[in-house]
Amino acid sequence: MNIINSSHLGRPGGASSIKIAGAQGFYGDSPKAAIQIAKEKGADYLVIDSLAELTLSILQKDKLKDESLGYARDIEFMATSLFPIAFKNGIKIVTNSGGLNPEAAAKKVAAILEKQGIKGIKIAVITGDNLMPKLQEMQKAGLVLENIDNGLPLSGSAFEITHANVYTGASTISEALDKGADLILAGRVADPCLTLGILIHHFKWRLSPSAFGDESSALSQNDWNKLASGIAVGHLLECGGQASGGNSYAEWPMDYSISNLGYPIAEVFEDGTAVFSKLESQGGKVSRNTIREQLIYEIHDPANYITPDVIVDFTSVKIEDIGVNKVHFSGIKGKPRPEKLKLSIGQMEGYMSDQFFFFSWPYAYEKAERLIKTVKEIWVTLPVKIERSEFSLVGINGIHGSAAPLPPKEILDEMNEIGVRIAIKHNDLRTGKLAMQSIICLGLNGPPGLIGIPGWGKTDRVMLSLWPTLIPREWVKEKVEIIES
Amino acid sequence: MKKIKLIEIASARSGDKNDVCNIGIMAKSPEFYAVLKEKVTTEKVKEHFKDLIKGSVIRYEWESIESLNFICNQALDGGASRSLRMDTLGKNFSSHLLRMEIEIDG
Repeated sequence: MNIINSSHLGRPGGASSIKIAGAQGFYGDSPKAAIQIAKEKGADYLVIDSLAELTLSILQKDKLKDESLGYARDIEFMATSLFPIAFKNGIKIVTNSGGLNPEAAAKKVAAILEKQGIKGIKIAVITGDNLMPKLQEMQKAGLVLENIDNGLPLSGSAFEITHANVYTGASTISEALDKGADLILAGRVADPCLTLGILIHHFKWRLSPSAFGDESSALSQNDWNKLASGIAVGHLLECGGQASGGNSYAEWPMDYSISNLGYPIAEVFEDGTAVFSKLESQGGKVSRNTIREQLIYEIHDPANYITPDVIVDFTSVKIEDIGVNKVHFSGIKGKPRPEKLKLSIGQMEGYMSDQFFFFSWPYAYEKAERLIKTVKEIWVTLPVKIERSEFSLVGINGIHGSAAPLPPKEILDEMNEIGVRIAIKHNDLRTGKLAMQSIICLGLNGPPGLIGIPGWGKTDRVMLSLWPTLIPREWVKEKVEIIES
Repeated sequence: MKKIKLIEIASARSGDKNDVCNIGIMAKSPEFYAVLKEKVTTEKVKEHFKDLIKGSVIRYEWESIESLNFICNQALDGGASRSLRMDTLGKNFSSHLLRMEIEIDG
């Protein structure tokens, strides 16, 4: 139990509540807000979510180049900037930054901590989500690994597989904390389960034991409601600043500082209710509006939000402003967890290349249209296969494509400037270069005043895709190991 | 009757799950939520996004936060990693929905 840390924070009742802060929203997000939270002891735990749907594909590319990589590399910087302050102040860190290689991440972080003279830190390594080595065995055993989006069996896919990781639940997080971990480096633990694991550890909430046989029927409605509340809190924390006034139409024109936006902090109680806030010293805003706009972010049926540990019903949620930057959150209900787990299989589909050009007044629109027409004429003469292409006019329909209304002619004729973006998909490493080289001549041969910007446009960016499927739980064997710096 | 844009009565946030885009639209008041429920139908959303949404649109009502959640299938050019679009993650589906015009009394 983490009683000592909690009472440090001077709240009445000591461990009857616990504070968890969202410390990062994606691989590459700024650690600045989290460092401030650690400095001010604004939370007992920091949750760092590094894994968006595609991040593992990106990490796989690193790992192919160097076996000791494959984790979210910003933890190397955090190990010198954030972790020392957090550990000094008794704050624990839970993250899925381990990515495809939590063991290597742990070794690296331990080495960086030791270099700074920081010893005695318990680092938990959570593995078992990588099912790449088991894919063939699973198919031999009769699993077709049907794509949940289009119903096709994996055997029908022609693409090379880059990774296969299953979304796992909160049990390993709570187990690692039970074992005294100060820092948890997990792989594909589902984002909100990082938070749920902390709450299970702290409040001794009951969870369906995954490794010890299914006793989920033994959980009461009250147990499921608590687990669901933990997921809801995790969901609200996992995108960092998006719950505290960042990226906000609800609070536009954002009448607060966003250059030092504070990240959301949830004080969670034993019954699963929570109070969301942020540091007073930081910018941003926490309001009913910012909380509800993050609650609805990237979810499907609000009555059935499926996670490895519980199915969440958000529909009876109560979100109330109870003070300046203070929001009370309650009313979440849970249903028994799903039978199967989601396995995300990454595939290498080919490459994409793109380029940008710009035109100014006069005739900006006509010149842009003429450029697109000319590029198409050149490309049909090339001895290459362009699988797909996309042409857009930046300033007119670059973002919304055909859904963007075309301005009337008198406005088009007077446009100050228009950009042209050209993007293509191709299957080999020859097409992109040839296609882009073949149109450079339009700087001199093309419509007047064409501008290309040095360094813009990328050739041969790897195109990966995801194959989501569901698998029985018995294929997943998770492991918690502790190493000490 | 007068014409208004949804941005006058609501805010929105959108995001991706593979080739599916979800757009949450949040009314500025319970009264406006009733307007959203009546006027912003799945058919109207599908039509508003033209070619951007190739699949079906599903709508979930979420009374407790005065919001509707739209699930747009086959909406992200195959998913963020495969997309040739500029807005690969569908972050601006929210913006485009807020531009939708509806007719209200008054």
